[in-house]
Amino acid sequence: MDNILVLTHVDESGALSRASLESVAAGVELSAAIGATLAVGVVAAELSADIPAQLAGLNARVLAATAAELAEPRFASDAAACEALCRHASATIVLAPGSSRFTRVLPAVAHRLGGVTDTHITALTGGTQVEATRWYYRQRVEAVITRTARPWFLLLDAGTRTPYAAKGTAPAIEAVALAMPALRTQVLGIKAPKQDEQTIRPDAKLLFVAGAGWTKKQADGQVHAAEAEQCILGFLKVADSSLGSSKSLVDQSGENQAVLKFMSHLNQIGQTGATPRHAKGLSTCCHGEEPHVVGWRFVNERRAINLDANCGWARGKADVVYIADAFAVMQRVNALLSEKK
Amino acid sequence: MANVFHIVVCSGIVPDPLQTLEPAPGPTLKNEMMLPAVLDPWAASALYEGAALAAKHAGSKLWLLSLGPKAKLQQVMMTVGQKVPFEFVAVDGPLGGFTDATSTAAALAEAIAAIPGLDRTKLLLFGGWESASRGAGVTLQVAGELLGISDQFQGVDEIKVADDGSFEVLERIEGGRHQQSRCQGTPAVLGWATGNLPEPRNSPQVGMANMRGIMPALQKAKSVKLDANSLTYASVSLPKQQRETRLVRDLSPDEIAREIVQWIAE
Amino acid sequence: MSAELNSEQTEVERQQMEVDIACVGFGPAMGGFLTTLTRALAEAAGDPALESHAMPGMPLQVLCYERADDLAAGVSGVVTAARAIRQSFPQIADAAVPMLTPVTSEKVFYLLDPHGHSRRSLVLRAADVLLKPFVKDAAFALPYTPPFLEKHGGLILSIGQFNQWVGTELMSTGLAQIWPGTPVAEAIFDGRAVKGVRLADQGVDKYGAPAEGYMPGMDVRAALTVVGDGPVGAVGQSLDRTLGLPAGHATREWALGMKFVVELPEDTELQPGTVWHTFGYPEPEIFGFLYVHPDRLCSVGIFIPSWLGDPARTAYRYLQHYMQHPLLWRHLEKATMRSWGAKSLAESGLHGEPYLCGDGFARIGEGSGSTNMLTGSGVDEAWATGTQLAEGVLELLKAGKPFTQENLDAAYVARRRQSWVEKGAQAAKEARNGFHSGVISGLIGMGLAGLTNGALAAAATPPAAHEQISPLRKFFARFHSEKIAEAQQAARSGARTLHDSLLDLRGWPAIPYDGRLLVTQQDALLMGGKVQAAAGFADHVRFRDPALCKACEERTCVSMCSGQAITEGEGTTPAFDREKCIHCGACLWNCAHSSDGRRANVDFNAGSGGLHSAEN
Repeated sequence: MDNILVLTHVDESGALSRASLESVAAGVELSAAIGATLAVGVVAAELSADIPAQLAGLNARVLAATAAELAEPRFASDAAACEALCRHASATIVLAPGSSRFTRVLPAVAHRLGGVTDTHITALTGGTQVEATRWYYRQRVEAVITRTARPWFLLLDAGTRTPYAAKGTAPAIEAVALAMPALRTQVLGIKAPKQDEQTIRPDAKLLFVAGAGWTKKQADGQVHAAEAEQCILGFLKVADSSLGSSKSLVDQSGENQAVLKFMSHLNQIGQTGATPRHAKGLSTCCHGEEPHVVGWRFVNERRAINLDANCGWARGKADVVYIADAFAVMQRVNALLSEKK
Repeated sequence: MANVFHIVVCSGIVPDPLQTLEPAPGPTLKNEMMLPAVLDPWAASALYEGAALAAKHAGSKLWLLSLGPKAKLQQVMMTVGQKVPFEFVAVDGPLGGFTDATSTAAALAEAIAAIPGLDRTKLLLFGGWESASRGAGVTLQVAGELLGISDQFQGVDEIKVADDGSFEVLERIEGGRHQQSRCQGTPAVLGWATGNLPEPRNSPQVGMANMRGIMPALQKAKSVKLDANSLTYASVSLPKQQRETRLVRDLSPDEIAREIVQWIAE
Repeated sequence: MSAELNSEQTEVERQQMEVDIACVGFGPAMGGFLTTLTRALAEAAGDPALESHAMPGMPLQVLCYERADDLAAGVSGVVTAARAIRQSFPQIADAAVPMLTPVTSEKVFYLLDPHGHSRRSLVLRAADVLLKPFVKDAAFALPYTPPFLEKHGGLILSIGQFNQWVGTELMSTGLAQIWPGTPVAEAIFDGRAVKGVRLADQGVDKYGAPAEGYMPGMDVRAALTVVGDGPVGAVGQSLDRTLGLPAGHATREWALGMKFVVELPEDTELQPGTVWHTFGYPEPEIFGFLYVHPDRLCSVGIFIPSWLGDPARTAYRYLQHYMQHPLLWRHLEKATMRSWGAKSLAESGLHGEPYLCGDGFARIGEGSGSTNMLTGSGVDEAWATGTQLAEGVLELLKAGKPFTQENLDAAYVARRRQSWVEKGAQAAKEARNGFHSGVISGLIGMGLAGLTNGALAAAATPPAAHEQISPLRKFFARFHSEKIAEAQQAARSGARTLHDSLLDLRGWPAIPYDGRLLVTQQDALLMGGKVQAAAGFADHVRFRDPALCKACEERTCVSMCSGQAITEGEGTTPAFDREKCIHCGACLWNCAHSSDGRRANVDFNAGSGGLHSAEN
């Protein structure tokens, strides 16, 4: 019989992160499906009151590895904590959120335990065997994989299931002894961009994506970078939108072209960029090529504005494509939204 | 004392991003051997950052370690070889993103351990934070673990070295932010995101110097078979992502704007 | 302009590198040269005569620079008799070269005009009417393939895949280096002697001025420079500009070949090895082809000759009509585009032959006039010239003789003159003169020359390429000038290309886009051509005299730009977008104006990037 351990960590508020609770929900479902034992492991500096409350009603052992060194994500300390939790739970299947914190460390932990890791899992099913679904973005296939090797670590993509909903009694939490190794790395802090309007903001409902067309020559033969900047920033302000870009737009920064100053590779959506989750997405001046559109896979409603009716968006990648000049349309959109505000 | 780094950049090769790929049973990619290949784009930034770092710190060395079919590696080196000076280490193995990451890591760690003249106390193990083919983000961590490296960073966009040999690293984390850390020194693993350096210009002299090592490295390349580590593909399917697209051609910008504003509000 | 650039460049401090043999352009000619050379070097390892002079103690240092980003990015779906190629690779049909297959069947079709809007003479119209009851799919199959066109026993191949395979084979010897992504700007001269090549500057703005990351192109000095950079290559052009052409020679005849590689449906009736040559449609002057590769891949394309006087011609629109001709559409209707590309073909043959060698240099391949337009064959001839030069070079090296004009003449040119390449070129020399007087006379002339091995052919001097383009209003005289002005206005505003408007006026049907095979030209560029240009290079297309552009009504450079990289700009000259250029070089000869009566008004220099499609 498999022993499932769900590894979780806290976010900056000290409570378990949303993605961790999604993994807990996955653990509950999977353990029921395959008749495995379930345990939840918590990695935190200290146990806040939030944590037992968040796990209330859970029919599972809850283990915690706590140490001041776990206040910040760091490979050596996190690896020690995760390893201790896995050993303590005799885990054969480890589920965990594919967060930056766990992605950094769990493949190595799996290896310490003689196990293997698969990442970017979007669905799990159990029956005679555990089957995990993941995307191979470059190859553009969805694969269902399975392994007999144990322990098997599965890192789950965030946003692919409903988080565990607490109900009933808070569980008791067992502390797991932890031998912290000597640490050679000190976490200095977080660097956030100065203006949040210029990034991909996960909390926004709408994703606005700017393509390279904004900095190309327009109908009058001229580049209108300043107007493009004004138009895009104006929209972000009035629509509270998240800002993404195509690769070709941010690649231009090295090419002496007119570039939108507030855009960097951090805005890039697509195969070698981000895969954000927003309810809606509006693409502008972007041709909708496949490597870019794979970054849209979690954006449900998609609309595009493009001058070319034969662009990728028009070929079944967007719900609506407006064949129009994005400069003209977005200026009017901004005016309308400003009026509303 | 001057800081000296021994930087090993692990990089796979992937089909030129401009190519149209078609999955085939196996799973594999149809005609993959036929398509021009390029250095994995994430790892390419690791290579350029590694070269810049080696250039800044006299006495440092840079190796490029790549696993793939020999003929394809040779082809990719014809372009990459002109970019920055490195010593090439080749491992002859399969293409594609469907192999097991842990086995790949083991092959890479073995090849690294066998590099003559490599001082593992000075080692910076570089690579992309994910490969552009498998997209797993597992290989580098396991390779680091196998080499006994306890300081690892992923999604790195910057490294700044201090005079005492310690270095600060910026790692990408959620919400478009960076985590800033300071590590006491080598050895360490850095899985790079894009970094900040542009692709270097082609330099014929660099190319000529590299080529002296590239061809012998290819001839010496050890052939590896990668264990699947029990990884099996229960099914592989093409995405059913086709949407019914509504094309709006005849509305004025004003009308389109109204429709978009209404849609945003819904 | 280029003279100014040169004087600026001399002031820049350039890095220098010494090699023994510097080669420019990796195509079939260079493949033949390097294959032959490296094989001999491998066999004679340790022979002091074949040691490097540039780097004593090392083997001969042989470097080849190629503009394209990858060796697989060449363009041409090819059927070839493969005489010379097979001599180098007797077992090539069994080697694992993707898309290569032996020719199994060959047919020539005359295509009738299925919709009645093709520009046909009365004679051709009458022929169509007479033939119509007797033909299927509006195509008349010639009862036999004229022997001069026959490729039986030959090969169908993708030049991209073939180049990639050849490159890999010869690189693995370690005796030659090929560097793609490296455009070469020009030859380095000392008087009339060539001392090597200068690579294109990197880190410059579109005008060539130093910008971020400036890196002046390196001077690669060599005892021998081998120029195989094709019909529009920058080094070949620099040789012609500096040395001139031999007396009486001129490059006047050109064609643009444009093609799709398509995947045929699973139930296709077309068998691998099938070769079709066609003529008669979309315009009578346009020849076409269909070659079937293994794995249901098929190359289909057309040639737009310089003597198609229409100043508004666009190859892309014509290719779409060609594929929809009933003969082809029956097989292509359910096909999908995989790849697309275009290239210029130098069709002047011996009339355009440059100096084949001089002190320190030799020319091979298409840029040396080796393409045979009677047999419609260039790859095999190019390969042969490469092997001939390699044999000559080896002979000189072993004899310890320097690469002087005299020695190269004796060792290379003499070989070439005695070979089948030259005999074919002689037979083809005057074979196509008739086309300048009309399609029928052209076909008759070609047939006669072909059947008599060139004995029956009239010598003539065709007009220069720019003179072959008819003035717009003369060519479309039957249309009201207001209609022409409207079409011009639509083209200038970017709404509709001139050719599209004029074909509409002539009654040609619209293209029913299906998103699969029939797509816009921009989509073909993205889906099939996969065009890319590295950052930091100058614009390689320049318009020399803006006044000529300002007065130009024809804008043939815009119409014939395969990648729609040249567009109507707001300025005096057309606009050029380097990132869309596929380096077909059509602009070089698709300009109707000249300030000196010799060269048209467009310069086509060394540039980076181009197609990335691997199946061409």
